[in-house]
Amino acid sequence: MKALNRDTIVAVILLLFCGAFYAASFRIEETTYATIGAEVWPRLILAVMFALSAIYLVQSVRKGPPVAERPSGGFFGRYRNAILCYLLFLAFLLTLDVLGMLLGGIAFVFLALSVLGERSPKMLATHAVVAIVSVGAMWSIFTFALKVILPPGIILSVW
Amino acid sequence: MLIENVADAFVAVFELKILGLMALGVLAGLIAGAIPGFTITMAVVLTLPFTFGLSTIEGLSTMIGVFVGGLSGGLMSGILTGIPGTPSSVATTFDGFPMARAGRPGLALGIGVWSSFMGGIISAVLLMTLAPQLARIGLEFGPWDYFALVLFALTITASLAGENLVKGLIAGALGLLVATIGEDDINGVARFNFGTDALKQGFAFLPVLVGLFAFSQLMSDVQDTKSARKPLMEKGAKAVRVEHFAAIRAIAGNWINLIRSSLIGVFTGILPAAGGSISNILAYDQAKKASKRPEKFGTGYSEGIVASEAANNATAGGALITMMALGIPGDIVTAIMLGALLIHDVVPSPSFIGDQPVLAYSIFLAFFLANFLMLGTQAVALRAFLLVTRIPMYMLAGVILAYCAIGVFALHNVEFDIWTLFWFGVLGYTMRVLGFPLAPMILGVVLGDIAEVNLSRAVAISDDLTLFLTRPWSLFFLTIAVFSAIFPWYQKARGRKTWTLLFLPVLFLAIAPPLFMMGGVPRPAVGGILVAAGAWILFSRHRKGWKLEPPEEHEVHLEET
Repeated sequence: MKALNRDTIVAVILLLFCGAFYAASFRIEETTYATIGAEVWPRLILAVMFALSAIYLVQSVRKGPPVAERPSGGFFGRYRNAILCYLLFLAFLLTLDVLGMLLGGIAFVFLALSVLGERSPKMLATHAVVAIVSVGAMWSIFTFALKVILPPGIILSVW
Repeated sequence: MLIENVADAFVAVFELKILGLMALGVLAGLIAGAIPGFTITMAVVLTLPFTFGLSTIEGLSTMIGVFVGGLSGGLMSGILTGIPGTPSSVATTFDGFPMARAGRPGLALGIGVWSSFMGGIISAVLLMTLAPQLARIGLEFGPWDYFALVLFALTITASLAGENLVKGLIAGALGLLVATIGEDDINGVARFNFGTDALKQGFAFLPVLVGLFAFSQLMSDVQDTKSARKPLMEKGAKAVRVEHFAAIRAIAGNWINLIRSSLIGVFTGILPAAGGSISNILAYDQAKKASKRPEKFGTGYSEGIVASEAANNATAGGALITMMALGIPGDIVTAIMLGALLIHDVVPSPSFIGDQPVLAYSIFLAFFLANFLMLGTQAVALRAFLLVTRIPMYMLAGVILAYCAIGVFALHNVEFDIWTLFWFGVLGYTMRVLGFPLAPMILGVVLGDIAEVNLSRAVAISDDLTLFLTRPWSLFFLTIAVFSAIFPWYQKARGRKTWTLLFLPVLFLAIAPPLFMMGGVPRPAVGGILVAAGAWILFSRHRKGWKLEPPEEHEVHLEET
């Protein structure tokens, strides 16, 4: 079987996405008072998007299978930094209730810098200083100057 | 009336606090604009959370400062290192960098700064005079016309945003779909919330935007470990003294070029979706065509710098004209500005300038003042820029990511907004990797509600759908939407296929009928001129035997400014 090119896969995903949302549009409540139902506009958009995705699919099939262009290091090698940053951000979000914005933010910046940058003792210390100073400054500006109550987290609340 | 409004706005804006905030904004914009990889949009997005606690005029003045500073910041890195800080300054490097290498970096910077300033001032004057007139025209728009205008804005953004029009249109449609999630504005019915309470309110505009744009861009910036660990500019830039007087003399001898380029900038900005990334190239090309010494362009010639820098700063004024008068953003930056206005409970529309003249003219005046502040803070920004360039990109990226989280949380004090930021960050990055332009999606998110509300109003008034084709403004916008959809093919085939010779004259002939339908004297007269011009072009091309001319040197593409 010939390898599918990336655009073909994306086009198929988009078509499925349109289908799923179209199905979901039937769960939108129908009102008796509306001149134009709440489901009409999203369905119109989905119809246009479906047609465009179909054109995209045809274009991608015409383009043919990809020329051997596998990136060195594979998928993870190429997108390693972005994937790790997203995972760290996800961890930051999941622990936000416990660590709070200040501690969680510092931990996130420190880990992100250490993942993206060099990990020599000198650079780790630099990353720690950058994390504490930058997040501390931002936290202070928002908390004291802009009077925004940022999530304190369980640890700081207990203190 | 104009003088009264300006005087009232003057009182509102001329406060020490506002001027200080604007100066800070301009400085931040200058530095952000100067850093390659950082865009003006990102600078404006990141400034937005700081403005929540400020009054409307304070917040908007600060953001306008960032906008103006960002447009001028790109020239610093472009001239000193040959790498344009933003796509708005691409054409500046064509002559700015060679001039700097030839030993006149101070003169190149001076010409860039003063051209930016003059372009900004010309566009500020046009903003104050044209926006109320355009708003008056906007009052003629019915819901059919507004709906067609939104379609045109999305089509032209998609057609200019990348090589693949279909991908651009899909992105635009996806943006419109995202805007439908949550409670519908017209009927109050929840849509696509999949049983969750959090989605009932829909996505807040700012987290979506920061995620799609800033988060995904930072991820792209750090994708390559090697370059992420290097200082922002390896080549480095040396401090130079700006040669103000020599620059003013050079520009004074170039005033026709300056005015022409500024006008190109303003009118490019007025066009929905077209921004500084297009205007600087257009103005450069026009300056070269009109020059007595076109062969000197690209060798460090002052005319090239004047054209590019006057045009890109003037674009900001043009984009603000459309946003303030019609409520339709002229480019991505003004789309965010529109979001900022909405956050501050200001809804631009044709009646906005008449209803809230002090606020409207305060925004105009802030734009005017920001250009002066840009001139005053350029020297400080240059020093700060030299310091910032020593920092590696990954450090900035990590810190800014944390800042994004704090900033979007500050909007409504709910964690769901940070989740929105995260998911749209993933989506934005995926779209970038897959080659989908983000500009149409962002515009789709911003314009989705406007499109739906106007479609709903149009259907409520009359179920006759032919009104979309029989009302002059609607027909006008739909016609140019069709031509903007064909534009990518035209651009690719120009100079190679005979049919491209028909594009411009047929466009002229096609937009003339709606102008005739508008009635009165000036618009049919413009329609008549267009018919005459279209016929003349057709006739002259026929006389030349439909001979193809070599294509332009620079293709026009919308990039994230």
